[in-house]
Amino acid sequence: MIFTSILNGLITGTIYGLVALGLVLVYKGARVFNFAQGEFGTVAVFVAWILHTEPPGLPMLVALLLGLAAATLMGLLVERVVVRPLSQKPRVILLVATAGVAVGSIYLQLLLGEAEARVLPRLGGDRVFFVLNAALIWQNIIMILALVVIGVALYLFFSRTALGLAVLASSQDNLASQLSGVSTRRVSSLVWGLAAFLGGMAGLLQAPLSVFTPGFMTTTVLFPAFTGAVLGGMTSLPGAFVGGLGVGVLSQLGADYIPETIPGGRELVLFALLLLVLSVRPQGLLGKEA
Amino acid sequence: MATSTAEATAAVRRRPAAGGLAARGAVASVLVIVVLLIPVVLPSFRASQATRAVIFAIIGLSLNVLLGHLGQISLGHQAFVGMGAFASGLMVGKGIPFFLALPLAGVIGALAAAILGLVALRIRGLYLALVTLAFGFVAEESIFNVNALTRGGEGMPAPRPPGFLSDPAYMYLCLIVLAVVLLMDWRLVKTKGGRAIMAIRHDERVAATLGVNVTFYKLFAFMLSGFLAGIAGSLFAHWITNIATNDFVLDLALVWVFMTVVGGLGSRAGIVIAATFFALLPILLEAIFPLLQLLPFINADMQGRLPRIVPVIGALLLVLTLTLYPGGIGQQLLPIRRWLAGGPFRDPLKHGRKHASRPAKRRRRRGSPPTPAGDGAATTTPTEAIVDAPGPAEAASAVAEAARATRPTGDGGA
Amino acid sequence: MAQLLEVRNLSIRFGGLQALQGVDLDVGEWEIVGLIGPNGAGKTTFFNCVTGIYRPNTGTVKYRGRDITKLPTHRKVRLGMGRTWQNLGVSRDLTVLQNLLIAQHASVRYGPLAGLFGAPGTFAEERNLRRDADEILDFLGLREVRDEVAANLPYGTLKLVDLGMALATDPEILLLDEPTSGMGPDEAHKLGDTLRFLRESLDLTILMIEHHVPLVVGVCDYVYVLNFGQILTRGEPQEVQRHPEVVAAYLGDQDGAA
Repeated sequence: MIFTSILNGLITGTIYGLVALGLVLVYKGARVFNFAQGEFGTVAVFVAWILHTEPPGLPMLVALLLGLAAATLMGLLVERVVVRPLSQKPRVILLVATAGVAVGSIYLQLLLGEAEARVLPRLGGDRVFFVLNAALIWQNIIMILALVVIGVALYLFFSRTALGLAVLASSQDNLASQLSGVSTRRVSSLVWGLAAFLGGMAGLLQAPLSVFTPGFMTTTVLFPAFTGAVLGGMTSLPGAFVGGLGVGVLSQLGADYIPETIPGGRELVLFALLLLVLSVRPQGLLGKEA
Repeated sequence: MATSTAEATAAVRRRPAAGGLAARGAVASVLVIVVLLIPVVLPSFRASQATRAVIFAIIGLSLNVLLGHLGQISLGHQAFVGMGAFASGLMVGKGIPFFLALPLAGVIGALAAAILGLVALRIRGLYLALVTLAFGFVAEESIFNVNALTRGGEGMPAPRPPGFLSDPAYMYLCLIVLAVVLLMDWRLVKTKGGRAIMAIRHDERVAATLGVNVTFYKLFAFMLSGFLAGIAGSLFAHWITNIATNDFVLDLALVWVFMTVVGGLGSRAGIVIAATFFALLPILLEAIFPLLQLLPFINADMQGRLPRIVPVIGALLLVLTLTLYPGGIGQQLLPIRRWLAGGPFRDPLKHGRKHASRPAKRRRRRGSPPTPAGDGAATTTPTEAIVDAPGPAEAASAVAEAARATRPTGDGGA
Repeated sequence: MAQLLEVRNLSIRFGGLQALQGVDLDVGEWEIVGLIGPNGAGKTTFFNCVTGIYRPNTGTVKYRGRDITKLPTHRKVRLGMGRTWQNLGVSRDLTVLQNLLIAQHASVRYGPLAGLFGAPGTFAEERNLRRDADEILDFLGLREVRDEVAANLPYGTLKLVDLGMALATDPEILLLDEPTSGMGPDEAHKLGDTLRFLRESLDLTILMIEHHVPLVVGVCDYVYVLNFGQILTRGEPQEVQRHPEVVAAYLGDQDGAA
């Protein structure tokens, strides 16, 4: 049933949207495509899981918060060690560098543990209820709420607060911002810390849905999130929101309706979508510049 | 990079003495002999792993055409390598001789790359990177999963060609292909095609006004890159003799990009060395694992997971290269290459005394007084030099003097 | 006299800005024509439209009577249109010689694949190219810096290299974009001699964007004045110089400083 597909698509789309928000944030703040955005989530999940299951076995909520903190720290570290030294280099170099961070993170996880699937408990329990033939759990509701709240908060931050405007100004004209008294270093740390926080949150919300493996956010969520960000507009926060959900729905439809004889329906849809958007409207649905 | 080539050639001004030539010849010969003896000297398993290094080197050179020469990024290179591999396996399975399947696999890779090339005509930079990534995924999840093409989970057999069944023999075969690829890259850079591609990297519009058909040469670069990747894929398939979809994944493509960057964009030698390092790293680590166990956080059951450390080290090297040593290994090799080409070992621009034989340099010694500030009295324009018909040397020194007048004083070098 | 270059009704718009409007311009064979105007008037945009970097909204460009408006840039170059750049087309990390070799692209007699596989003719042709490049370098007095990396050379020298690159494309008409920028008054005057020399010895036609009024007056046969994307006036340099609107447009720029 098509409504089932759409609803399921929307649910996956909320995570895409959350990650896309982080991607757009970094792009607005630093003009960088952050390939490590997925790993912020994976790291949060692994830290939370280890703290919860290995002795001394902290309570779930505490473990989650510490996982979030770990992700944020990782973001700040990446900014300091990788992004800042390369800040004057071409953007493609930074992309490759963040890809390096992602790959390093994934294989470090594989090195320190096995590739097996692990489980994180769900928020609100495992009770399933049905809406329009789609199975939902409380976790899904929390995801949607999180996306809405965060989306609105970021939007207000960037349009209403002085700090938010400073971030935008800094990305558009670094020198002028410095001359106006904005500390571009603090802004840079803020952007990456915030993006890592968002990434961590996305990972923590996604993991309980099924199982998680090393690098799961990067291998399953990052690329669709990028496509969503491009679709909505890499410079538009509401765009990330819309684009993430849109990609969720479209890729779900692709997976459900493209016949079995053509494997990889999801990837084909994403590839076609990417080509379409970049050829016809490179700035995305809601973006103002490419 | 182009800089190292320019500096290397610029430095070759005086022929070294006979003894110097002999020394250079000896070193070069030793290098060649060592490489040729590797397959024979190593035990069979190791020879097999060394073949992987050779194949990685070819892949690195293929990526270099896009990344180093054209300046565009490809994050989906596993697509071209995989297509070449499966195509080769299919063809040989249908009775086509290996030595025909090999170049045809290259053609398949070239055609696939042409698709991306067409996209690259309109989409650039970061967004193109995303598209290449997407393309890699499509290959991984979609094309490589079509059972008719790839035999799915059971894998596709790809037998070695007769006469090259043993590991050392196959490695020699791959070495020959690598040598041909190295020659091609050398000729590419030294001729019209390579120059056009690099002009496009520098500035497309300027390249167009210099007569370069930008569309053609962009496609040419992509297709060449795909061709080499396809060939590498074919060699890979018949090396491992049985290929499955899982052999061509994103992680590998990223490691290849890191490898090429660490090797140094545009540096053939650097890329070959980086490829060898990355391919042989797991073996190296296995060999020194007993030592590694002494470290606190390494325990015995990590041994099976050692190959996973390669991407981690790769990522570290990548970040190091990007931040501290942008020219990669190639940059570090520059003195050696300069010496082998007959020039001095130390950088002549930094050790200027060895270079004193040209008149212009003599005028630029440190501490010599600057020309009186120019109202043009110190300048002799090219036209005057020609119309008054002095010799070329005089015209040359006139330009040098003019150059000195406009330059900050006392600066004898770069 | 045969019109080498004939531009009619050229217009182009970027978003809300009408950069060029109804521009008509002729360059006769072996003329030296100047295109002057205040900063932002659209002179470089005009060059970009003529050479095909931009696609104009309206208008035609004719070369020897043939409509080349829609022709891709590299084909125009092969027809004989050479061009220099205000910000220099020189690749900073290559040597002067390598830059010239790139510029000879259109005249190279072997194809890219032949070059790739080292076909025998390529080596000989490469030697020919170097010989031709050396001729140009000698001509401009740049032989000394032949193997210097461009980044190490001063701006004035690079301007000459840029000119050398344009000459290496074997042009019939040279479009020069501010050839004297960065030069002092004497050097600019000497450049004028060079240009006349080029016209005489190489049969070149020249269209140049310039700010340096004495040079324009001294060298150009004819001058067009562009202001706010439209041709303000045209004529012999002396008349144009005295034209009241031209003076007004240049208010503040009268001594020829860029």
